[in-house]
Amino acid sequence: MSIALSVRGIVKQFGNHLAVDDVSFEVKPGVVYGILGPNGAGKTTTLRMINDIIKPDRGAIEIGGLPPGIEAAKKIGYLPEERGLYPKMRVLDAIEFLGELRGLTRRDAKARGTQWLDKLGLGQWKANKVQDLSKGMQQKVQFAAALIHEPELVILDEPWSGLDPINAEVLRETVEEIRRSGRTVLFSTHQMEQAEKVCDAVCIIARGKNVLDGNLREIKEASASEGLIALGFTDAASRELADKVLADKELISDKTPPRAGDVADCEVKLAGSIESKLLLTRLLDAGVGIRLFEVVTPTLHQIFVARVGDTAAIAARNDEETLQHD
Amino acid sequence: MTDLRAMLVVARRELLERVKTKLFVFATLAGPLFMIAMIVVPAAIAASSTAGNQIDIIDKTNRLGVPIAQELQSKYDWKVTVVPADTPDAVELAKISKNQINGFISIPANALDSTPDDTAAFLQLVAGRLATGDSFGEAFIKAATTGEIAYRGDNASSQGITAIVRNAINQSVRKARGEREKVDAKKLDQILQPANVGTYHTTGETEGSSGTGAFLIAYILAIILYMVITLYGVGVMRSVITEKTSRVMEMMVAAVKPRVLMAGKILGVGGAGMIQISIWLAMGAAMLAYRGELLGLFGIKGAGEGSLPPLAAVEIAIVLGYFILGFFFYSAMYAAVGAMVSSEQDSQQVQMPVTMLMVVGVLCLQVVSNAPRGSASTVMSNVPLWSPMLMPMRYVLGGATLGEVAISLAILLISTLLVVRAAGKIYRVGVLMYGKRPGLRELVRWLRY
Repeated sequence: MSIALSVRGIVKQFGNHLAVDDVSFEVKPGVVYGILGPNGAGKTTTLRMINDIIKPDRGAIEIGGLPPGIEAAKKIGYLPEERGLYPKMRVLDAIEFLGELRGLTRRDAKARGTQWLDKLGLGQWKANKVQDLSKGMQQKVQFAAALIHEPELVILDEPWSGLDPINAEVLRETVEEIRRSGRTVLFSTHQMEQAEKVCDAVCIIARGKNVLDGNLREIKEASASEGLIALGFTDAASRELADKVLADKELISDKTPPRAGDVADCEVKLAGSIESKLLLTRLLDAGVGIRLFEVVTPTLHQIFVARVGDTAAIAARNDEETLQHD
Repeated sequence: MTDLRAMLVVARRELLERVKTKLFVFATLAGPLFMIAMIVVPAAIAASSTAGNQIDIIDKTNRLGVPIAQELQSKYDWKVTVVPADTPDAVELAKISKNQINGFISIPANALDSTPDDTAAFLQLVAGRLATGDSFGEAFIKAATTGEIAYRGDNASSQGITAIVRNAINQSVRKARGEREKVDAKKLDQILQPANVGTYHTTGETEGSSGTGAFLIAYILAIILYMVITLYGVGVMRSVITEKTSRVMEMMVAAVKPRVLMAGKILGVGGAGMIQISIWLAMGAAMLAYRGELLGLFGIKGAGEGSLPPLAAVEIAIVLGYFILGFFFYSAMYAAVGAMVSSEQDSQQVQMPVTMLMVVGVLCLQVVSNAPRGSASTVMSNVPLWSPMLMPMRYVLGGATLGEVAISLAILLISTLLVVRAAGKIYRVGVLMYGKRPGLRELVRWLRY
């Protein structure tokens, strides 16, 4: 199995609203893959189509070579954004029940459920009703219920929404563990900081379309070569000298003051095909005392904003509101 | 095969969630107690309302008072006093208002006369009255009510009381008339013996079981079906709504097909209902069989006469078949209702039409029992909305052949499957929608998603 999940040209329309418009991506086994996008971009709809909750109008989905359906469902563990458990069920029964529905025998489901609860520190709660647990504990039980059948592909929709910091850490560790065991994680989020920490590869969706996809490191390196450099100078005299060098339009296309809390004095963007080496030589030649010279690797957030744009993000939010009032 | 397994897993959960509650255990055991109460209490009330009745008799014939008093004392344990014949009604009425007696029977001197059966004799009576100085109206009324024996009392509206009084008086009047005509006492007893009357239901083809018995059983089952559906059909709806409000449903529909989920849910909740109902029916049947002894325990005698006829095996099979399928059909409708709404409050209005449809079926039981072979019965007992209530009665009353039953059952089965499927689809789309309830046009669109 060389591809854990392949999504090819899926389209989904609800009434007049085109929720997903020709989205394609592939996820290799053993990878943590993030679907990023603003609210209303079509992330949840895409995940629901993979889970066979809704059918795409066009396009094809394969999960480890299988079409969405009951056989594929046994390989998938799904933690939706809107998640909950039967409030009146006992904790262990609830996990066991979902395990059975994903193809485990009752005995297996019980044994694994007990293991999971012990691991999550909820061993003594297994006979309590779900509704008696705190929200944080319920979240842990939900992880266990979604993962009990050791799925090949774990799908998490906005997994960090509503998680307390402790559970966020539990989830990150769990994702790491799944990756180490060679299984695949697919999740959606609009929280770029979280995604940056755990993703191997990402796909950015905005207004129902793919904007960018690929290996996170390659994406970042590609963005880094766009020539953004942070500069810091030793003293005021050096700063004045540097300003003269940086005023050269053939060398520098753009100069921005540092962001708040940054150690740099300014950020510059190199013009055209100018290499960073040349800027450094010119500054040294001019006798500028340099404290900091850093080729900036943009954060995922910066890449996201650059690619999607603030306007798109706002437009997407408006779309979502009209959908709800539709 | 995996669908079947998933359905059973869902059904098992629903069943256990219900059966394990204290309320279920309590209701299952308390139900029969309630039934005992339903049999015993009315009988006890009826017995106590006729027992110990205290009445006076004003007898102007001097022949009827004593035998009537004896009859009421010996058979019904009433306290009866024959007061002097010239006691005015006003005195007795005063006794009633002071709660000294319940009522009194006043017997006029001509009570033993037969009412005139021809115009000439009647007019003669009116003329006699006019001669004594009555106005024309008075004379007419008095003539028409000649010989009226009246019972006046604070309990005269009770059917039990009036029946007892009427019987005792009739018996005594007839006997007195016979004696007046010098009929031999032995012969008189033979003449007065009540006839042995039986009624049997038949359509000319099949000899049905006793008419009232068959009707009663079909009727009771239809009412029980109605009760079970309102209890457990609504239970299915609640369970669907709970899945939405507790946000479980997205995890569920990702793991099982919505229609499998729906089918499992209906099977599980239905199973709980069936368990309860079988316990109730078994205990109910036992109680009916031994109700004489049961009432005896509470010191009530004379009730529990007449028994329900046994049903043939095929009749039982048909009754149960419709019962189960009817339950599933309506539960599927309620499941669809649950899938449409997103809160318990919303469901109140939406479930109304479903409940009304069922009530129409119950009300139309009369239509079928009046004319089991009529066209209205034939049509209605094929519509899946009503066939579960109407067809068993139509068959038991001999209005349908087995072939007709088979067709109606097939329609019901297919409709049930279709409704389950539709409910599943609405549910799957309902996952995406919160807040606004869909209109009819939107629902149709959902079915195509």
